[in-house]
Amino acid sequence: MRNNNPTDKEKVTTTKMQEKLIQVENLQKVFIVGGGFARSKLLAVDEVNFYIQENEIFTLAGESGCGKSTVSKMLLGFLEPSLGEVYYKGKDIVNLKKWEEKKGFMKEVQSIFQNPFETFNPLRKVDSYLRDTAKQYGIEKNNGGQTIEEALRSVGLTISEVKGRYPNEFSGGQLQRISIARALITTPSLLVADEPVSMVDASLRMSIVNLFKDLRDNYNVSVLYITHDLATAYYVSDRIGIMFRGNIIEMGGVEEVLMNPKHPYTQMLKESIPEADPKKKWSERISIKELETEEYMRKGCKFAGRCPFVMEKCKNNMPPELQAENRMVRCWLYE
Amino acid sequence: MKTLEVLKTENLKSYYMFEMQEEKKEVKAVDDVSIKIQEDEIYGIAGESGCGKSTFLKTICGLAEPPLRIVGGKIYYQVKGKEIDIVKGKEIDITKLSQEEYRKLRWEYISYIPQGSMSALNPIIRVKESFKDFVTAHKKIKDKQKDFEEPLRKHLNALGLPMRVLKSYPHQLSGGMRQRVTIALATILNPRIILADEPTTALDVVAQRAVIQLLKDIQNLQKNTIILVTHDMAVHANIADRMGIMYAGMFVEEAKTEEIFENPLHPYTTFLIGSLPKMGDKSYKISAPGSPPSLANLPQGCPFHPRCPYVMDICKKEKPELIEISKGHKSACFLNTKERKENAK
Repeated sequence: MRNNNPTDKEKVTTTKMQEKLIQVENLQKVFIVGGGFARSKLLAVDEVNFYIQENEIFTLAGESGCGKSTVSKMLLGFLEPSLGEVYYKGKDIVNLKKWEEKKGFMKEVQSIFQNPFETFNPLRKVDSYLRDTAKQYGIEKNNGGQTIEEALRSVGLTISEVKGRYPNEFSGGQLQRISIARALITTPSLLVADEPVSMVDASLRMSIVNLFKDLRDNYNVSVLYITHDLATAYYVSDRIGIMFRGNIIEMGGVEEVLMNPKHPYTQMLKESIPEADPKKKWSERISIKELETEEYMRKGCKFAGRCPFVMEKCKNNMPPELQAENRMVRCWLYE
Repeated sequence: MKTLEVLKTENLKSYYMFEMQEEKKEVKAVDDVSIKIQEDEIYGIAGESGCGKSTFLKTICGLAEPPLRIVGGKIYYQVKGKEIDIVKGKEIDITKLSQEEYRKLRWEYISYIPQGSMSALNPIIRVKESFKDFVTAHKKIKDKQKDFEEPLRKHLNALGLPMRVLKSYPHQLSGGMRQRVTIALATILNPRIILADEPTTALDVVAQRAVIQLLKDIQNLQKNTIILVTHDMAVHANIADRMGIMYAGMFVEEAKTEEIFENPLHPYTTFLIGSLPKMGDKSYKISAPGSPPSLANLPQGCPFHPRCPYVMDICKKEKPELIEISKGHKSACFLNTKERKENAK
C-alpha cells in the first residue's frame, strides 16, 4: 500500500491543476404537481453543487426518479433552473441571451441520449445526422467530411459502414456509437451522457463505456455519465455523486464512495447490485418505497423513512453537506 | 427423487415468415430446440437481444401469431400427470386447440409476464379493478367477499405488497412497484408455470432486487416453475437453479447455474460472463467482438463461428448439436465434443 502513496499524492496535485469545466451551484428545480386545490410543489432537484474538471468522467448515479436527468437537462439548457447557477469555464450559462453565445456553448457541450432507437428518425439515413451537425456548427464544407470521418474513427466505425444506411440496419450498440460520433463532430470538451447503456445489451455495454475511457484519455473529452448502473460507474468514472430524491447525498472519488460508502442509502444501493456469482446471492431482504412523491415531500432527510439508523433529528432537518473521509456526505451520522 | 417435467419441447421450430414481392423470407427465431423444464425450479434463459429468447417464450405459451409460425416440433405440457400435446399436425395453428380449451390452460396453468409489462396496467382504472377483471375472466364469483376480496388480500399479504396499491392508479406507483403488481396479477390464480420476460430490465438496482425477491418468494410459496428470460447474467446468478444460454435461435449451453458460472463450456457463455464489470475490479474489460447475426441470414455452420476466438474448420461447415458433456451439462460446441472424443480414447 505504501508504494501507492506517492502516486496518490501526485494525482492530487494534478487534479488541482485541472481546470473546472462545469461548476454547478445551489441548483434547484421546482415542478408544480396537480392543479386546482391539489396543486403542490415538488422539489425535483434541490441544493445541488458539483463540478466537472477537464479530462475526467464524473458520474451522477441514483434510482429512477432521483432527479439526475433533470440536472442534466438544466445543464444542457433544455430546462430553466428555478434557482442556482451553472458556470461553464467561469461563464454563467443560464442567462445566455445571444444566440451566438448559446451556440458556442452547445458546440462545447454535446449530449447523448438513452435510447439509440429513438434518437434517430427511422426514415432518415443515419449519416444525414452527422452532416447536419457539421453544417449546423459551421464546420467547413470540404473539411466537414474529414471531421465526420475522424469522429467515426474515434468510435471504431468507418464512413463506408454508415453511409446511406437507415437506423434499422444497425444494432443498438452501433447506433449508440454513431450518436457518440455525432456528438464528437463539434470537438466538444464535455459530453453529457444520460443513461447511455441502459438500452444496450449487457455484453455490448462495455464497448460503450470503454469508449468513454478512450475519449477521456486520447481526446481530452470530459464526460458527465448519468446512470443507475453502479458497476459500470465504478469501472469508468473518476468521481461520483450519488443522488437521492433531488439531493446529492454523497460525492467523492469513485474508489472511496463505492468501495467504502458512508451514507446508509449508498450502502443499500451497493448491497443491491447483483453479482454474477451464484455463491453470492442476497440473503437480506429490503423494503421498497411505495410512492415516490411521498419521499420527495419529506421535511427532513428524504431517506429517513427507510433508513436503519434513523434519529429524531433526521425527521425534521435536512443534513448539510458534511465532510467525512475524503468525501462529501449529507447524513447526520457524520456530524 | 423423481422430477416431473412440466414442459417439454421436441425439435421445436418457430419462424417468422414474410412474403415480400413473391420472395419468401424466413427468420429462424427458434430453431430446433429440445428442452425439458422440471417442476419446482427456476429456469433462466440468457442471451443477447435478438437471439430468440422472447420468441421462444411466446411460442411455448401458445401465443404464436402470424407472422410467427410454428414450423415443426412439439410442445408438451404436463397437466395433472397427463401429457397434452398442444401442437396438432405440422403447420400448426395454436388456436386449433379449441379456444375454450386453451383459455382454461392460460393463466391457471401457464401465465406469461411479457416484456415491459409494467406499462400493461390500465391507466384509467384502479389496480383493484384490474385484479377483478382478471379473476372474473377465469372464475365465477358468487360471493364477492369470499371469492375475490379475501384471496386477493391473502395473496398480496403473502407477497408483501401493501394493500393501498389496490386503491391507487398505476401512475401513482413507481416503476418497480408497478412491475411487482403485474407479477402479483399474473400469479393470483396459482399457475404451475410462470414465464417472465425481462422482468427486471429498465428497473434500477433497488427495484430490481425487490422484483427478484418477489419472484423467489412466489416460487417458494406456490412451488411452481418459473422460466425467466433476461440478458443480465448477474440476475441469473442470483435466482436461477438451472440455465440455458441461447444464441441465434438455438440453445448452445444448458446446466445448473453454479456449473455455468464455474465451468462454462461454450465460448459464448465465457463471453457473456467475462464482459460483466465488477465492483472492486477496474481491470480492462472487453466486450464480445461483433454483434449477434441476423436471424434471417445465418452464417453456415455454427452460428457463433464469426465471433469465436477458437474457430476451427469444422465450425464453418457443420452445425454442432446440443450434447450432454457431463451430467446435466449440455453444450453445443465442437471444442467440447472433440475433447470428449479424446477423453473417450
